[in-house]
This record gives sequence, C-alpha cells and structure tokens, in this order.
Amino acid sequence: MPEERDDRLRPWRPLVIVAAGAVLGLAWNQLSGHGFALAGNVYVKPGDEVVEPPAARERQARGALLLDARGTMFYEFGHIPGALSLPEEDFEAAFARLEPQLRRSLDVIVYCSGFGCEASHIVARKLKEKGVPAAVLNEGFPAWQEAGYPVKQGRQP
Amino acid sequence: MKRLLLHPLVARLAALVVGLVFVYASHDKIWKRTGPDPKTGELTALSGPAEFARVVYRYQIVGPSDRLPPVVPNVFAVTLPWIELVAGLLLLFGLWRREAALLCAALLVMFILSVGSALWRGIDLKNCGCFSVSGEGRAAGMGLIVGDTALLAASLLAARRRPQETRP
Repeated sequence: MPEERDDRLRPWRPLVIVAAGAVLGLAWNQLSGHGFALAGNVYVKPGDEVVEPPAARERQARGALLLDARGTMFYEFGHIPGALSLPEEDFEAAFARLEPQLRRSLDVIVYCSGFGCEASHIVARKLKEKGVPAAVLNEGFPAWQEAGYPVKQGRQP
Repeated sequence: MKRLLLHPLVARLAALVVGLVFVYASHDKIWKRTGPDPKTGELTALSGPAEFARVVYRYQIVGPSDRLPPVVPNVFAVTLPWIELVAGLLLLFGLWRREAALLCAALLVMFILSVGSALWRGIDLKNCGCFSVSGEGRAAGMGLIVGDTALLAASLLAARRRPQETRP
C-alpha cells in the first residue's frame, strides 16, 4: 500500500542526520572563529606548562615543590612523597596556609587524578594569578603510579 | 488510554516537544562565545564547543585516557550538538519524523547510560552539559535520569507509525 510505504522507516535517514551533524560540527569548529584545536586537551590553555612524570621527579629531586590538588581524602589515601595538599575546592584557605612556602619555591608542580581531572590546571592558574608560576603534571597521580614511582599514604607529606 | 496515545496528534505533539528540547539543548554548545558569563559575570576563557568538551572529559567515557587521545572526546563534543540540532529541527518541521525521533531516542539512551555510569563511578558532575555548558548548569543526578526517561518515552511516541484509520 502506498500509505505504508510513506510511513516506512528508512534506516539510512538516521545515518544521514548523524553524518550531516558531524560535517556541520567539524566545519563550524574550523570556520566559525570560535572553534578549538581538536588534537589538544582543552584543559591545557596557552601558557600552561605541562610536565611528564620523569621530568617532574627529576625537578622534585632538584628542589621543586609538588602540590596535590585533589581533596584531602584522596591525599591521605595516597600521594606523591613530599607533595603538599592544596585542594582546589579549598584553594584560598590552603593557599593562605602554604603561602610562605610557595613564595620561597622557585619551581612548583601541581597534580590531580589524571585525565578527567581539571583541578591541577585550575590550581596552577590560580597560583599564577597570585604570582606563583606552576606547572602541571601530565595525567596526574595515575601516571606517577604507572611510572612505578613511590607513593605515600597518610597526612604527612 | 491506548487510543489516546495512538492518536496522530499525540505523536505530533511529542515530536514538537522533543524537537524543541533538542534544539534548545544544542544552543549553548554551538553558539556560546568566549567572554563574561551572562549570569555570573565571570570571565569564561572557552567558547561553547570547548566548554562542552570539558564536560565530556569529566564523564571519562570517550576519553581522554591512556587509550583514547583528546581528539576522540573533542570530535564527539564538536559534532554531538549539531546532530542534536539537525534531529531537533527535523522533528520541529515534521520531516523524517520517525527516523529523527528514533535517533533522539538512541541519544537519550546514551545520555541516560552515561549519567548513570558517572553516578555509579562516583564522578561528581556539577554540570551535566545537557543545556548549559558553563557555570553551575544542571547537576547530574537521579532527577536528570527521570527527565531523560520521560523524554525518551516522548521520542518513542513520536517515532510511532501513523495509525491506519487516520490515513487519507
């Protein structure tokens, strides 16, 4: 019946919608003027310094101060030995507490819980605003663990 | 009740509702430009697409991870809003209604599973990225899953075949 044919599902149509959306989206990102680089991580903004675990370890051995931007519970559960806790959610209070030490440090590296975590980038940017330049540990604490470097539990750095 | 749900006007109305929601949902993710947030006045350094990519990262489903480079969630974040927009507009204009509604239903299933999985893994999504991509937005919680399920039901109603007796 012609009516049935009119109302029949055409499986290619959803594919066309998805393809059209994908083409428009990619074109918009390229041409609109407010797209972004698809190959990069959007947490990383121009001017941010990102370091890999081996470099972070080396810099720590030379006196760099490591900061843990995760909540205190995560810090106590396991952190990089020597790292101080500066949770992003409690930035102002923690900064006030650590300020003298931060101002003395010539090299600061911040980390959090890896890929989906933006806290280290936010803390590094807030530190920069306060006049304390800070780098971010790429892929954070999981990358440090994966590299086989030591980890410490408890409240003590 | 069944007769009422089968009424062609119900499918039409459901298509309009789902279409409106999808077009609205795509708006901020596509058009928002960098600048001060209209609500908070806070300077946002990222545009809508990049802000949406941040939200996608937080779900930790399509990356970035040690297996999936940032390009995967980035392409997802750039294309999904446009797929929402195209499907939503088709529903609003009543074109390819059944297929657009089924696609919306599939997307809603994906949203429900993503939010459910994030909640299950204890990921705190202050902003689910459903409508607004910056500031507070809507938090991901059970309320959101219920809302999405209702919208899923509406999509399936909109995807229904026209009943025989109403045809000319």
